[in-house]
Amino acid sequence: MKIKTLEEILKKKSSKTEFAILTNLENGDSEIYLPGTSPKGEFSKYAVEIENFFKSKKNGVIENSEIFVETYIKPIKVIIVGAVHIAQYLVDFAKSLNFEISIIDPRGYFASEQRFPDIKVINKWPKEAFEEIETNSSTALIALTHDPKIDDPALQYALKNKFYYIGALGSKKTHENRCQRLAEAGFTNDEINSIHGPIGIKLGGKSAPEIALSIIAQLVSQTYKK
Amino acid sequence: MKNSFDEKILDEAKDWIKANQKVVLATVIQTWGSSPRQVGSRMIVNEKGDFSGSVSGGCVESAVVSECLSLIKDNKPCKKIEFKVSNESAWEVGLACGGEIAVYIEQIH
Repeated sequence: MKIKTLEEILKKKSSKTEFAILTNLENGDSEIYLPGTSPKGEFSKYAVEIENFFKSKKNGVIENSEIFVETYIKPIKVIIVGAVHIAQYLVDFAKSLNFEISIIDPRGYFASEQRFPDIKVINKWPKEAFEEIETNSSTALIALTHDPKIDDPALQYALKNKFYYIGALGSKKTHENRCQRLAEAGFTNDEINSIHGPIGIKLGGKSAPEIALSIIAQLVSQTYKK
Repeated sequence: MKNSFDEKILDEAKDWIKANQKVVLATVIQTWGSSPRQVGSRMIVNEKGDFSGSVSGGCVESAVVSECLSLIKDNKPCKKIEFKVSNESAWEVGLACGGEIAVYIEQIH
């Protein structure tokens, strides 16, 4: 690989642009490829295969060739409601797992930049905050305030927009009450049951990093079921 | 998981090059059976044999380092290496987990 190619890769990575590295394993030539464009030179005859790697979000050698394709796909968006202590640990875990976190919390004293450096923190109520974030069925929601005023509107938004993962912190009792409120708001049983509550897989831990670990483990497992 | 935009190995490669070191990039390009690290996993090696990152769970790293050192010594651009299940009758490197992997090594120049 040429130093110039390496520098271009680093630039694309830091600007979070989706791309692929194409390598000819026989002669060592490598190229950067942007999805939707035509691959250059010796790689041009593999346009369809390269695009398929992108679609399947996979890396590998193109069949019956010596061309290696490595794709860089945008991270999965995870929205956390509640800039609480657990959120700080979630941010740490998410960094090495290709999740992109945004935090919503209308309480200014929680949602400070000093507590969450380099993270998008939106100091607004969920309804207004969601106007600033692009979401779809590949988005995840983690509700951590266990305050119905803040969590409920976010959960309703996530259900309506069919987020692939929705989790809410709180005891069994808190969650039962939450389910009841959602039912009264007109959500079906299937929708309500799709919420992971109490959030996280059972690890037994009670400290903030342990709870964050149990949440992130559940999120990863649901991401692979997607 | 998929390649992460936050993965730091390539940034480290750049730092090593800036410090005037010769750098070989090793990438897992194919796996068969149970292999600990997925396709796209990376490791970098310099001319002193220092390395960072991983291509297996510690099974073949030392062999990859020596292949990388030979690549620098022979001044070759790239090479594909395959590692198979370990053979008990010989002291060769193998994957204790029973998988097979192909690793591509290339000089960054």
